[in-house]
Amino acid sequence: MSQSEYLEVFIDESQEHLQTLNDNLMKLEKEPADISIVGEIFRSAHTLKGMGATMGFEDLAHLTHNMENVLDLIRNEQLEVTSHVMDVVFESVDDLEEMVVDISNGGDGSRDVQEAVKKLEALQHGEKAADPQTEAAAAVEAAPAPENTGSVQEDYDEYERTVLTQSKEQGYYPYKIEIVLDEQTMLKAARVYMVFEVLEQVGDIIKSTPPADDLEDENFEFAFVITVISSVEKEELEKRVMKVSEIASVTIEEVDVTFQEKRPASKTEEASPAPAAADQAKKKEPKSKKQDKKEETPKKGNELNKTIRVNIDRLDVLMNLFEELVIDRGRLEQISSDLDNSELSETVERMSRISGDLQEIILNMRMMPVDQVFNRFPRMVRSLSKELGKQVNLEITGAETELDRTIIDEIGDPLVHLIRNSIDHGVEEPHVREAAGKPAQGTVQLRAYHSGNHVFIEIEDDGAGIDQDKIIKKALDNGVVTEDDIEKMSDQQIFGLMFSSGFSTAEEITDISGRGVGLDVVRSTFETLGGSVTVDSEFGQGSLFSVQLPLTLSIIDVMLVEVGEEKYGVPLTAIVETAIVSKEEVYSAHNQKVIDFRGNVIPLVFLNDIFQVPDHEREAETEYYSLVIVSKGDKIAGLVVDSLIGQHDVVLKSLGNYLTNVFAISGATILGDGQVALILDSNALIK
Amino acid sequence: MAVETAEGYVKVIVFQLKEEEYAIEVDHVQSIERMQSVTRIPGVEAYIIGVMNLRGVITPVIDLRKRFGIESQSYDEATRILVLKKDNNEIGFIVDGANDVMDIAESRIEPTPEVVGGVAEEYLRGVVKLDDRLFTLLHIDKILNKNEEKRSGA
Amino acid sequence: MASVLIVDDASFMRMMIKDILTKNEFDIAGEAANGQEAVDMFKELSPDLVTMDITMPEKDGIAALKEIQGEHPEAKVIMCSAMGQQSMVIDAIQAGAKDFIVKPFQADRVMDAINKVLG
Repeated sequence: MSQSEYLEVFIDESQEHLQTLNDNLMKLEKEPADISIVGEIFRSAHTLKGMGATMGFEDLAHLTHNMENVLDLIRNEQLEVTSHVMDVVFESVDDLEEMVVDISNGGDGSRDVQEAVKKLEALQHGEKAADPQTEAAAAVEAAPAPENTGSVQEDYDEYERTVLTQSKEQGYYPYKIEIVLDEQTMLKAARVYMVFEVLEQVGDIIKSTPPADDLEDENFEFAFVITVISSVEKEELEKRVMKVSEIASVTIEEVDVTFQEKRPASKTEEASPAPAAADQAKKKEPKSKKQDKKEETPKKGNELNKTIRVNIDRLDVLMNLFEELVIDRGRLEQISSDLDNSELSETVERMSRISGDLQEIILNMRMMPVDQVFNRFPRMVRSLSKELGKQVNLEITGAETELDRTIIDEIGDPLVHLIRNSIDHGVEEPHVREAAGKPAQGTVQLRAYHSGNHVFIEIEDDGAGIDQDKIIKKALDNGVVTEDDIEKMSDQQIFGLMFSSGFSTAEEITDISGRGVGLDVVRSTFETLGGSVTVDSEFGQGSLFSVQLPLTLSIIDVMLVEVGEEKYGVPLTAIVETAIVSKEEVYSAHNQKVIDFRGNVIPLVFLNDIFQVPDHEREAETEYYSLVIVSKGDKIAGLVVDSLIGQHDVVLKSLGNYLTNVFAISGATILGDGQVALILDSNALIK
Repeated sequence: MAVETAEGYVKVIVFQLKEEEYAIEVDHVQSIERMQSVTRIPGVEAYIIGVMNLRGVITPVIDLRKRFGIESQSYDEATRILVLKKDNNEIGFIVDGANDVMDIAESRIEPTPEVVGGVAEEYLRGVVKLDDRLFTLLHIDKILNKNEEKRSGA
Repeated sequence: MASVLIVDDASFMRMMIKDILTKNEFDIAGEAANGQEAVDMFKELSPDLVTMDITMPEKDGIAALKEIQGEHPEAKVIMCSAMGQQSMVIDAIQAGAKDFIVKPFQADRVMDAINKVLG
């Protein structure tokens, strides 16, 4: 496994944890009393710390470590979740995000985290109740306990000596064991505990230096001495201790009881049997019952589905290969219908069916919930409203709605722009709202939902709304429209002017929603994705931005039509029906050819005119028009073509970056015979 | 002719447009195709004659004569489409013919006279004189950049 | 060759350990992403050794350890812990964990612990 592969996984997983952090912090802010959320947050911070440290991103590990300490205090209810606490933690998460971004951009992830750490430390010191363990741990470096070094020397008191003497008389060996831990040992107390456990399996511990309490609090450097009485041989004992990892050395010698006895003794001589001594020793063993400190088992987290990660490039390759297959399928269908061989056509039919199923699976694989994009908005709204001194409640619905990942990748920035716009220009300051009889807190609703072959994303605010007169004035000033144009425009079309290029002017671009790009960029982004954006507003009541997006790119069902020598595809989603009408049924109204279609007067759009189809002479030859009736919202139009070829599944391909904004053409497809046919954007043809 | 591009050499593809010879750096050239069926795109600049199916990729095709304002001629057996790639855009350029690959010493590239065969100076990188031949080295970025050109067709 | 079940909720960490183990010619019996999976997979695979992360969703490493040890007292489990989890490590040792390793992992340390537990 190469370093870069680690890095890739590290970045992926870090981003997931950052998202979990953000999500849960937002939740915690809403429900500060729910300590189980803190558990989740703690776990993510903890995992990040571990990963960061492993990859050597020290600033990241350092910062998460301090975050963890603060979270621990919150979890143990030693620190209250105040707005200030949340701010500090959020800032730290921002730092973490920056670091991960830096790392994913090839940086070393280093960042000056002193400020953030200082704030976190202030929270720990300012408000925490005494926390013996942390303090003790902090004391380790500062004040190392006096150390027994070199030779194993141990002083025993009267009582201990008695125990040792007696055990010797009963056939046990008294051992003095000096154990030196590896210098890089972390969690020394746990190591010591393991040693104690090993020794207790084969004997009784009489004494330890430093005493058990100090060992437990890690008030020693690396060496400690244990006196034990045991029935096993010295070598066996050594072997057992060495089984514990991270032990640098073990020195065992039998205690010279007589030597000890010769030492000046104290007066009282308490005779006590060995087992009692063992009890005594046991009491000193590191207390493991710190149940109160135990990590709370996190509540049921997300059920882990059986999934595998697949690089998106591979899915793209799969998709491309499949697209080629679809083209060949079209070719085969054509050949089969030409040859009229029943076996062949059966096989081709079967193949078409299977590839249809395959298509569905592949497209589904590429679908992702819009939550991928939405999940960053709560944070954004939070900081934005703070910055602007506004109170905004963001309500998200339909985050589970799925879209093709290509679309997901693209809609983030324009949506950010629209939401910023709603908060910056829509929602008013609290006092303004109150004066207008609205609640001080504004609401921005972000909705996503499915409808037919489209996904709609709506951003609705209950803010100031849009002043039509201002829009008109500005559009006139900037030469986007003329007075005459305005006359003919509906309210929605007037609001739509906000999206025209040249509408935004530099003077009112703010830091929030301006960023040097206008709403026209937003519009064109959605349009390149085959979508559209509209806006509706009631002055003083709020605005609604509605984005319509195709469910998936790529494969669409079209009606192929012929105009002159050219073939065009009309997406089936836009077609109401097809019809053939006699030329006599066509009449003119306001310079526009129309027909009466089921009681409605609908305008006709002559594709040969619109597209200036060369050498178009067929019109004269026939008495009928072939029509494709298309709709856009509640508006209908009839496209006049020469002939209807039939319905086809085609692969929608982009015309590329060179050909942008081709009027009424949304893309192209490759037909069964290898020819390119253009796909109509009928929306552009309906006025 | 040197096979490898030594330091200071540019490897170019030589193509013809109305009796003139032009050169373009080989790095930009994806492939050279025979003339093939092109689907017209309505409402775009006249020099964009349409799109073709280049192995499954929809590729715009530009008539270089029209792009440079040289009078058109009908396509024939010698006509070639040079497929260039720039920033992930593949674009086909129709030329009268293309068959030579050459190494040209950088030092032999001379600044351009103001107009060569009707091609405006901004598209030119330089001129190369080699024996009795004269090549005009084209500036690929300028040609691909549509913004340089005022939209005329739309 | 000894087989190892790797338990960690972070696939990054699993990869890390897996890498160390495969370099040292251990078999990877399986990978579990939470305590419950660990318990289930232990039953199914009976690995020679388990590396068990402590902090995990669903069921933490200590609960999983206890469950495994309850049914298979002979199971060899090494805890994977981070700094600051001392008391939990001690709990785990009490519950029958054979050893523990501390993140960030160092290959020699991991191998040392594993060899000692298996040896």
